[in-house]
Amino acid sequence: MMDLDELRTRWTEHDQKLEAGIRLNRRILCTVQLGRTKSALNRLTVFTVLHAAMWVACIVGLGDFVYEHASSPRLAVAAASLDLYAVVFLSALIRQIAAVRRIDYGLPVARIQKQLEELRVMRIRTVQWGVLAGLVAWTPFAIVVLKAVLGVDLYQFGPAWVWTNLLFGLAAIPPAIWLSKKFAGRAGRSPFLQGVMADIAGTSLNAAATSLAALAEFEQEGA
Amino acid sequence: MTGTVQERFQTLVEEHKGILYKVCNSYCRNRADRDDLAQEIAIQLWRSFEAFDGRCRFSTWMYRVALNVAISFYRRESARTRHVLPADERFLDAIDESANQPEEVTLLYQLIDALEPLNKALVLLYLEGNSYLEIAEVLGISETNVATKIGRLKKTMRQEFRAAEQERKS
Repeated sequence: MMDLDELRTRWTEHDQKLEAGIRLNRRILCTVQLGRTKSALNRLTVFTVLHAAMWVACIVGLGDFVYEHASSPRLAVAAASLDLYAVVFLSALIRQIAAVRRIDYGLPVARIQKQLEELRVMRIRTVQWGVLAGLVAWTPFAIVVLKAVLGVDLYQFGPAWVWTNLLFGLAAIPPAIWLSKKFAGRAGRSPFLQGVMADIAGTSLNAAATSLAALAEFEQEGA
Repeated sequence: MTGTVQERFQTLVEEHKGILYKVCNSYCRNRADRDDLAQEIAIQLWRSFEAFDGRCRFSTWMYRVALNVAISFYRRESARTRHVLPADERFLDAIDESANQPEEVTLLYQLIDALEPLNKALVLLYLEGNSYLEIAEVLGISETNVATKIGRLKKTMRQEFRAAEQERKS
């Protein structure tokens, strides 16, 4: 009966033969060094930069709206609340970028995996809060967009309209979580949509918490 | 100056390409995914190369980077949808890899495949002939912890190897 030590010997014997047969494509390695590869890491960087640029544009645009409608506090408050929402999410994104930049993959595996899982938790929480707060934020969003684009002031429908919509947004949060839990696995073939639904439902957060617990156990066991 | 760093990097990666091959083989069974992972590791190695200060051996550092990328890659749900290279060009390959692979090594890869990512790393480092201290340095856990885990994995893998052999005979 073979055990791991005997297998280790076989592995080493095979390794010596294998080493001579491994071929590394130097041309691709050079492309990697020049940063010309379409890697997931590069795509993530581009996506993050575009994401940050979008929030900056929102903050600037909303700031401009607040300035222009300073004489109409109702409109200014709606835009300022959206501006606050954008500032919070931009700062969360900057924190994530800073955390990613601090990760040194050359450090021990357990430590880096822990940092990556913590980063994942931070990203999931941002998506959760972004989407769920977005359900409430859609009322000031509608007020600002309709005023800016069509010149329509939704306040003309009276405060009841505003309050009803804000409450509707709040009431929509539990069903949104329930629907995400129910349909996360069936959200078509889009990994992005599936990911967002899993984030809202909390399943991604549970998975990250499980990974963190497993990491803690891996680090401490027998220590 | 830049050329020298690039050449030094290429030479070091070429010298240690076995690490790249075996880490990719342990974390991906699919050829396309394996090549994607090899390239992701190469990108991260190059990005982190500046921070390599020689305080540990290059192989230790390369194992850390490769395993960190591989574990993240393994956990990423969308891993199967990403294909970085054209199908006709491979970054990392081995001549007649499966034809000359002993049955025990194939089976070993299957058993490694069933392990969770961190234990996969542990077994791979052990099979590569690293000492407990070296494994501890790569993984960032204590030597005692490494010894405990290896002991447990030996027991588990012996049982699984026995079961796999019986299945093959029957």
